[in-house]
Amino acid sequence: MSERDPSTDPIGRGSDGDAALTRVLDAYRAPELSAGFADRVLASTADRAAPLPSARPAQQGRWRSARRLVIGAAAFGALATTAAATGLLDDLPIDLPSGEQVWATITGNPTPQAAPPPQRAAPAAIPPTVPMAERTIEGPIDSPEELEEAFKQIDERRSNRRETRQSNVDNRIDRMIERRRNEGRPVPSAEREERMKERLERARSRREENQTQRLEERRDALRERVEQGEELSPEDILREEREALGVDRLRGRRDELRSLSPEERRERLKQFRERRQERREQRLNDPQNEADAAPNAQELDEPAALENELSEPAPPDSPTEIF
Amino acid sequence: MKGLAPRTDPPLDEAALVARITAREEAALRAAIDAYAGVLHRVVYRMMGDAHEAEDIAQEAMLRLWDNAEKLSARNPSEIKLAAWLKRVAINLAYDRLRLLGRMSDADVPERADEDKLADAKIEENEEHAAARALIAALPDRQRAAIILTYYEELPNAEAADVLDMQLKAFESLLFRARAALRKAFQAQTAEGGVT
Repeated sequence: MSERDPSTDPIGRGSDGDAALTRVLDAYRAPELSAGFADRVLASTADRAAPLPSARPAQQGRWRSARRLVIGAAAFGALATTAAATGLLDDLPIDLPSGEQVWATITGNPTPQAAPPPQRAAPAAIPPTVPMAERTIEGPIDSPEELEEAFKQIDERRSNRRETRQSNVDNRIDRMIERRRNEGRPVPSAEREERMKERLERARSRREENQTQRLEERRDALRERVEQGEELSPEDILREEREALGVDRLRGRRDELRSLSPEERRERLKQFRERRQERREQRLNDPQNEADAAPNAQELDEPAALENELSEPAPPDSPTEIF
Repeated sequence: MKGLAPRTDPPLDEAALVARITAREEAALRAAIDAYAGVLHRVVYRMMGDAHEAEDIAQEAMLRLWDNAEKLSARNPSEIKLAAWLKRVAINLAYDRLRLLGRMSDADVPERADEDKLADAKIEENEEHAAARALIAALPDRQRAAIILTYYEELPNAEAADVLDMQLKAFESLLFRARAALRKAFQAQTAEGGVT
């Protein structure tokens, strides 16, 4: 127990020790309130502004702030994830480092590259629709180099068109088979279908060989003309090409068919069927030719193929092929 | 003795009074002013040594009651201690004003306090009054408030602790230091030649 300190005892008005002190302290008298104090207070209540709302407890405010931060961070993360998932960030001019790049900057060690994902099966080749970049030939063609460049460009275009036609024929055959199957009509088996396509391919190759032979003959003639100093125009070359391929002849036949009356067109159809039947009979009598005889679309669906024949004339050996 | 007699808060039903003030009954506010404004004025005057400042603060404390009556009435009626609440408000306002003015209560009383207060002038002329004011003003703010509440207003330690929003033990410790400082200052004042 600590010793009692008399200086901390209550200041007693009656005690002898504090008599002098209490006399001095008691002399510190307070004045009375001025008159009209209550009236002034009451008058001040009239223009008293409304009290401010009480301040929220600090601890609750901290928790609310922390909760808002968490909610804000979560919302930002969700938005960023959504934007990344939808590919939005790819459309913005923002260079976002990948996770591997970020990790490499932190650790200083580049992470091993993950194995490339297996590539999907390549879709069916789509024939290019946009012509390839070509060297421009200005003015008349008067040199062998320009002439060969013109032949090269013609061959490229023809190659593209040939692929397109081949794809169209294959698709048409597939549609015919599907339509016959839906109608309950007999359809070729897979083996027969494969065999037909092989025959078509052989016929096509044979036709292209003939066309190439005729083209080369015409081109040799053109080369001689250029070497002799003659200037050729693009029209001269294309005319020779069309004649070699029989394009003008086929177009003439198409225009002729389109100009016929319905009765005349039916007569031409009848004659066409008779000639086709004769060719079939000839193939049956000559087994050697049967292997090279190319079936055509008319054999699968005659009316539809005939419709095409009337609208798009083709060489006799392949009515479905159009230049 | 004028301005020094022991004060006991009038036996008012403080909860009912606050409820009436909440209902914006001016008569209730006037009753509260009559009951408590005097003690507030005395306490603040001895804290600051300025009758005008004391009256301003007493008025502000009563207006705070007008403003906050609704919140006060929301408390449990047994917890409504209006007298202690008003004193706490007034003392806190005095603290703020002292800090704002940077003025200690032992500084000269402003001239305007002497212009029209004949009673004050007479009191100022009293040497003992000046000596007492100097002793009180020499105390730190909280010790000064402890002496004023317990000696001049004769509040029990528990009530005084409640007014100052302190734990009882802490207040008693504060009060002990205040008494010791006051006695020491008085002894020094006496040794220098008595009251000035």
